[in-house]
Amino acid sequence: MASANDSKWQKDAADQNFDYMFKLLIIGNSSVGKTSFLFRYADDSFTSAFVSTVGIDFKVKTVFRQDKRVKLQIWDTAGQERYPTITTAYYRGAMGFLLMYDITNEESFNAVQDWCTQIKTYSWDNAQVVLVGNKCDLEDERVVSTERGKQLADQLGLEFFETSAKENINVKAVFERLVDIICDKMSESLDADPTLVNNTTKSTRLTENPNMNSSGCSC
Amino acid sequence: MSLSGEDMDNPPRRTSSKDSAIVDDEADVFEITDFTTASEWERFIARLEEILHEWKLVNHEPRPPAMKNQYANGTWAEKTEEVIFADFRFMFSYLYLTTTETSSQEISKSKREDQEEVDEEHKTPTVYLDIMNFDNDFPSRAHYLCRWYGLQEFFTLIPVSEKQVIDSESRAKLLLSSASVAFGNSNCSIPVFIQLQQKWRKLFTGTSLVRGGSIEFEMSHLKRLPPQYCHLAGLLDVFKSKLGCVYISMPTVSVAVRFTYKLQDWIESAWPQMPPDFSSFCDGEVGYGDIDFLPFGACTDPISELHLSCTWPCLSEDMIVENSMYSDLDPLQAPQWTVRLQMTEDPQCLLGVFLRDFLKLCERHESTDEVLKKVIGDGDAEKDKAASDISNALHKLTEPVPSLSSIPSISNVMSSASARIKFKPEDAPIPDSLLDKILYFLFPDAKIPRSSTDQKMNKNKQSSSTSTSSLSSPVSEHESDLGEVKANGEKMAELNAELAKQLKSAPVDSLTQRLGLALCKVNHSFGGLLGVAHLWQEFILEMRFRWENKHFLSDIEKGAPNMGSCLLHQKLQMLNCCIECKVKRESVGYGYGPDSVNIHDQSFDSSYDDRDSSARASKVASIVSSSDDDEEFFDADDDEVAKASAQGEKNSEGKTNKGAESGQTDMKGSTEPSEESQGRDSVVSADGQFQDSITHRPVGRLVPMKNVFLLATGEQLYIPVTQEPSPMTEDMLEEHAEVLAKLGTSAEGSQIRARMQSACLVSDMESFKAANPGCILEDFVRWYSPRDYVVDDDVEAEEEVEMEQEQQSAGSDTPATGERKGSVSSPAKRGRLSQRMQIPGNMWVEAWQSAKAVSARRQKRLFDDTKEAEKVLHYLASMKPAEVVLHLMPCVIHAAIIKLVEEAINTCVPNSKSMIDTLISRAAKVTRNFPLDKKKYAELLRLIELAETVTARTTSLRSKFTSDHLASPEQEGKEEEIESFVNNLLTQSEVAVKGGACGPAGAIIHKMFITAQKSNNMILDDEEQDGEGGAAPTPTPTILTLGEDRRNRRKNSNLSLPSPSSESKSTALSDFPAPCAREYILRAMVPRPAPYSKVLPQRMYCLLMESDNRIAGAFTSDTTFQ
Repeated sequence: MASANDSKWQKDAADQNFDYMFKLLIIGNSSVGKTSFLFRYADDSFTSAFVSTVGIDFKVKTVFRQDKRVKLQIWDTAGQERYPTITTAYYRGAMGFLLMYDITNEESFNAVQDWCTQIKTYSWDNAQVVLVGNKCDLEDERVVSTERGKQLADQLGLEFFETSAKENINVKAVFERLVDIICDKMSESLDADPTLVNNTTKSTRLTENPNMNSSGCSC
Repeated sequence: MSLSGEDMDNPPRRTSSKDSAIVDDEADVFEITDFTTASEWERFIARLEEILHEWKLVNHEPRPPAMKNQYANGTWAEKTEEVIFADFRFMFSYLYLTTTETSSQEISKSKREDQEEVDEEHKTPTVYLDIMNFDNDFPSRAHYLCRWYGLQEFFTLIPVSEKQVIDSESRAKLLLSSASVAFGNSNCSIPVFIQLQQKWRKLFTGTSLVRGGSIEFEMSHLKRLPPQYCHLAGLLDVFKSKLGCVYISMPTVSVAVRFTYKLQDWIESAWPQMPPDFSSFCDGEVGYGDIDFLPFGACTDPISELHLSCTWPCLSEDMIVENSMYSDLDPLQAPQWTVRLQMTEDPQCLLGVFLRDFLKLCERHESTDEVLKKVIGDGDAEKDKAASDISNALHKLTEPVPSLSSIPSISNVMSSASARIKFKPEDAPIPDSLLDKILYFLFPDAKIPRSSTDQKMNKNKQSSSTSTSSLSSPVSEHESDLGEVKANGEKMAELNAELAKQLKSAPVDSLTQRLGLALCKVNHSFGGLLGVAHLWQEFILEMRFRWENKHFLSDIEKGAPNMGSCLLHQKLQMLNCCIECKVKRESVGYGYGPDSVNIHDQSFDSSYDDRDSSARASKVASIVSSSDDDEEFFDADDDEVAKASAQGEKNSEGKTNKGAESGQTDMKGSTEPSEESQGRDSVVSADGQFQDSITHRPVGRLVPMKNVFLLATGEQLYIPVTQEPSPMTEDMLEEHAEVLAKLGTSAEGSQIRARMQSACLVSDMESFKAANPGCILEDFVRWYSPRDYVVDDDVEAEEEVEMEQEQQSAGSDTPATGERKGSVSSPAKRGRLSQRMQIPGNMWVEAWQSAKAVSARRQKRLFDDTKEAEKVLHYLASMKPAEVVLHLMPCVIHAAIIKLVEEAINTCVPNSKSMIDTLISRAAKVTRNFPLDKKKYAELLRLIELAETVTARTTSLRSKFTSDHLASPEQEGKEEEIESFVNNLLTQSEVAVKGGACGPAGAIIHKMFITAQKSNNMILDDEEQDGEGGAAPTPTPTILTLGEDRRNRRKNSNLSLPSPSSESKSTALSDFPAPCAREYILRAMVPRPAPYSKVLPQRMYCLLMESDNRIAGAFTSDTTFQ
């Protein structure tokens, strides 16, 4: 769907006017390229070294899907082992996850299963996940074959992509696919719940999906 | 129409002058006026035609006749338009049976083949086929016009307003002829009906124009029918006379008959449910465990009537006789029996009412205080006391550290707390004894009266009891009682797990859920809003007491708030976190800041003498042991080290306990494992604390990191004790995320965000520095983010081997306990920071530079338990009862669904699976929604109530069909058939009785009618059997007159035919009452209006009821050969 609207994908990301808002989370081990991946997608830029993320950071991008403006609020997380205790708190509100590993790093691939468990534990079960093997431009240093990635994705029931933030391979495709899956799931599960459509509520809300928890003390 | 001409002229003039030439031309054209739609009548007809065109019903193809039972089972559709005739507004509707695409295509295909021979003119119109269709007589559900005339498509023209009624014949004729014109013009043969008289009478007149013929649909609706027509014979006369053919060759009329009998009295199986006694538990007869008992079931029998319809389809008039004297139509001989149930409109379901009452509180706006103040009399001395109490409470709020010595035991506080509430004993909405029971129900751990010395012991017990009680949910207990089918238990367990995962509520049997149930109960039985406010206030007092006295909340799971539970539960979890933190802080003897150290030193002196001494003892012991520890780690071989570090906590526990045997076990036993290690470390730091200012001695070490040495000094690298990140409830998290999000997506925003979140990083760095004197950033990175330390290439290969070994040996790899994978294994390993860590001025370097060597214990607290606890307590205290109710709704719903599922499974409700699934998914959606919406909860309650009603119906019906008196030898082995019959009754609107009166279900129904008949006529069983009134009481005169009355009435009533069985046994009672409704369909193929006319279908439907008699005829006449 999106390929037809390519030009529209470049719309001003800061635009507050949107029909839906999806909150996405990028997770994975430290230095697998989460921040680079996000910058490539949101700003179409690449720097070989971003400062290691502290805590949680985010970017926004608005896309079009079937003439609906979908605002993606993409949260980038720190991958260090110390951080999951902090970042998992944010899982509950996310509608989609990009679970990323580095194809040149065995350890990051081995950790995928654990990350997946974390998602299962801390998110609602209708959150969608895509498995991403990043840095596929570094073919010489590859230690995780595409087949193994595919196999694991099948085993976990996830969609799978190999990407390169540096060479801009599959970056957009991953997000488009994730948005598609979320939309499909949404139209499937919600019979067009009117509360889902957002035009009036303030844009800073993390999510407008009634299925997601949002909060705010009501006193 | 000159007016219209002018109208047409005007608009073009307003257009621009450029077009004026053209406009003028057009204006000329517009001068032609159309006189055909001049009158209202013509406009009405034109509008009808227009609609027919819109709906594509012009030159309508004949439809195939409906298949067997398609009227009842197929789907009907309706199209509606409003039309106006003068000032009359009508709804013009097209109702039709939707045919599935495939079947209609197939049929039309086969038709097309036929058509090659049969030309256009000879196709049988749909309406003819419908009238003579025997497959859809007496459909179980269908539009009444469909039922009366057997049509699969028709139009209705119904006045919109109730006030506008077609009551004169001329108006009816005018409408009918208008419709005829429209339909004739459109070549549409679908019948059209016009409603006459008041709507409730359902009186219609109609017409249909068919090629070469026309059908008149006539109807009469009478309160009473002349007695001579109240039977088949009379109706046949009416039919034949209407056809007007008295000639000899009259073909036989085919007849379909249906009698319906009503069973209202369920003699043998009265509604089995007794309403539970709500007042029982306050009398103390039943244990307080009953507070969480949810009532279930219907107050009145949810099934009010059973309608038995006996059908004789497709008889010939010659075959049966029914007249005023005699009838062949014995229900027991009827070939088809069908049954439908009449449900009680509002059976008053207990659970639904119970929950709805609770939800109603959401509409109240009073605050807790306002509610409670109302009770206190004005100018009462009590009031002043109360006011001072309130101020006391406020003082408490602001008191930084509560003094513990003044509160000796929880039981004391409970009584003093209730004294604090401003009630005179007689005014209190919840009597004291009951309140105690409820509080014990909420806080089962409070049962054991405790003194300050054995508090710790109790807490120990409490935490263990928590774990066990959370395992055994009330449901599973309940089930073991029922213990009928083990599979049910499994099903329940599965569903419970599913519920716990799906619903955003609180775990089963958690404090939160119990609170919800208790408040529900209090609302229902003890004072409504006032009782709720009272209990809530008690609850808040208890919360404060527990915080101040460091008692954990029982049955609230430990750990950071679970975002998958409801907000109130998270708040309680948060409070528990605060208490845990406080306990840790104080048990260790040192606060994180200098202030708290002082305060706690004081408190130690005053109230914890024994503990203080033990702590001192342990201090000494572990100073010795800590150095031992270190050496052990150094010397031991790999395996042992791995073990030791993995079990480091255990080791230390053992040691400290050894060192401080007196009283120490009590203290230590209760604390968490992580606490243990901290405890040990506190001692280390305590040691270091004294010399900190002089030389930088390592402090706050947790465990050495295996084979990793500081780059600068070559010393062993230690993983420091770190502060836990602060737990957050979802509202805090949301607030935090909102603040982060507001910073925008710019680079600056990112940087500010990073800085805001750097507290944890800086804290960890400070701890690291404190634990590792002489360390550099590279050392920190090797522990904290190993991939950011790049080892030089020449040693990499060698290292990888070791890495693998390490991975195998390392038991656990969390930063707190284990070694790091991929860390360099020899002190001489050379490497550098990764590119991103070398970016000048980056966050990490900056933080490292600013970090001082301060152990976690002496750092500023990341988590201020005092502040957070007060926030939670304030949050709770400021909740209005209405908010409390709404916040507890998810928990109550959760419990209700469990109850419902349990009942539904136990009673084997048909289709319970889908019912429950819908309920759960709906509940998941509603409970996850925030802010909480009481309307959505009300909808959810309606759904629960519906499910409850269905369950109650099942219970009722099953008991009716399986009660003992019905059991007989013939029934044996037929249980399955009866079971499936009952299930069908519950899921379908009308169910055929297999085998009619002779089938197992039929026999039961027959018996039911017999019993009901007997009791209605007050005949006792013996009376009938004996025949003489010896033992049985002789019928009193009243009974006699009653009976006579009845018989007389029957004779008089034009409806009541003497049924055949009563005919034969004149005095004896018939098995069945007089039918409540009798339906006849008479059909014949007769030429009309003249003997030489075409032979055409004729039909008459008759419905005879007590005071509602209807005859609906469809009479076709040939318009060609008249």
